[in-house]
Amino acid sequence: MKKDNKIDRIFKALADPTRREILYLLVAAAAAMNINEVSDRFPATRQGVTKHLKVLEQAGLVDIQKRGRERYCVATPRPLKAVQEWVDFYKKFWDDKLDGLAGFLDKT
Amino acid sequence: MEDIIRKQKQFKHPIARVWEAISVADQISTWFIQADFKAEVGYHYTFTHQGTKITGEVLIASPVHELVYTWMVSGTETVTTVRWILAEYENGTILTLEHSGISGYPATMAVTMFENFNNGWHSCVENLEKHLAGMN
Repeated sequence: MKKDNKIDRIFKALADPTRREILYLLVAAAAAMNINEVSDRFPATRQGVTKHLKVLEQAGLVDIQKRGRERYCVATPRPLKAVQEWVDFYKKFWDDKLDGLAGFLDKT
Repeated sequence: MEDIIRKQKQFKHPIARVWEAISVADQISTWFIQADFKAEVGYHYTFTHQGTKITGEVLIASPVHELVYTWMVSGTETVTTVRWILAEYENGTILTLEHSGISGYPATMAVTMFENFNNGWHSCVENLEKHLAGMN
């Protein structure tokens, strides 16, 4: 996982429904799958699926490893958790603050 | 995934009252966060919470309906945007809050931020507990 992963890249990677499905497939598989196994499950061409996998890899969500002639993909969804935690934090932050505002308005 | 947090809340108070609460420094400091703030376009404000500084610039200040400012947490470089929208509703006010631009954060930074803030809130609750214990 690259250190400089921008959440921006994660959002962009997940903006495409096929990429979301590819990631879900790999997360559900919980094991490395080779690119043919992945592309067999999608109507897109092997090249198309490979392209999607590259985008996911750049976002740090998928790791692609070469073993012999084959390339294997494995889901690395940790950065996704970071985004979720950040969003969850601010959701709670604003909920608490707006409750505070309600209390403040009622008292003054 | 959406790059925006949106919250909506209804108040039974008039819109001018809610506007004051979100735009006047003294009032912001009471319910929200310690503030050096003016609702004037271009004003560079500073919010302080438990040693964490949040700075930004007022982008829109249009009483009593819209207040927009950038939101930058010290130690990070990513600028997010906070937008307050007020609308009159029956005898009260509907407030919509939008916080956007999260996607600019490096993922590792998001974790650090989260942890920093969590510690901040934790000590905040501890202080409150101490304060309440002292009152008994």
